[in-house]
Amino acid sequence: MDDQAQLTDYSPDGVDLTLIRWMLSLSPAERLELFEQHVNEIIAIRELNAAT
Amino acid sequence: MLQLRPAATLRALHEGGVAFVLVGGVAAILNGAPVNTFDVDVVHSRDIDNVARLVRVLEDLDAVYRMQPERRLKPNGSHLSSAGHQNLITRYGPLDLLGTISRNLAYRDLIPHSIELNISEGLRIRVLNLETLIAIKEELNGEKDRAVLPVLRRTLEEKRKL
Repeated sequence: MDDQAQLTDYSPDGVDLTLIRWMLSLSPAERLELFEQHVNEIIAIRELNAAT
Repeated sequence: MLQLRPAATLRALHEGGVAFVLVGGVAAILNGAPVNTFDVDVVHSRDIDNVARLVRVLEDLDAVYRMQPERRLKPNGSHLSSAGHQNLITRYGPLDLLGTISRNLAYRDLIPHSIELNISEGLRIRVLNLETLIAIKEELNGEKDRAVLPVLRRTLEEKRKL
């Protein structure tokens, strides 16, 4: 458990701070590019499962 | 396949000479917050010349209202001059044009609370800062606003440590 505690970092209200730090390590252009890829992959998956 | 292209939307507005401030989820993402969204929200200047430029860009983007899209209702200068919200679908995805947000904050009110960011080669746009995004969400206090506030607040804290 101690090892796990060192590998994660959540705020008291449950926000994953490692994810925030990773986002902040990117440039705004990289964040936008990542968002486009991310959201388009979600749309593709949703279209593949449109009937469900 | 449907593709969302927020960068292309913003480039079209920029190259069309439209004065605007990016707000909402994409603004949060550009500020470094790991949140998700499907639309581009902008507050545009409602000056008459800017509205005319905006109408031209929207024509190029095939923008129509998302409500009853089969009717292909297009926003006009009168709609875009109002303080209201125009919820559109374009060939690059959903685009919300907001005359004002929160307590009647218009484009010129948001300028002091915005930053300019490079979002691709030769494309520099004005984005609402994280402090103001948080303040507006706190003021709106809707369920969806409260849901995203912890991530925005922690992102601001982490940014201040950099």
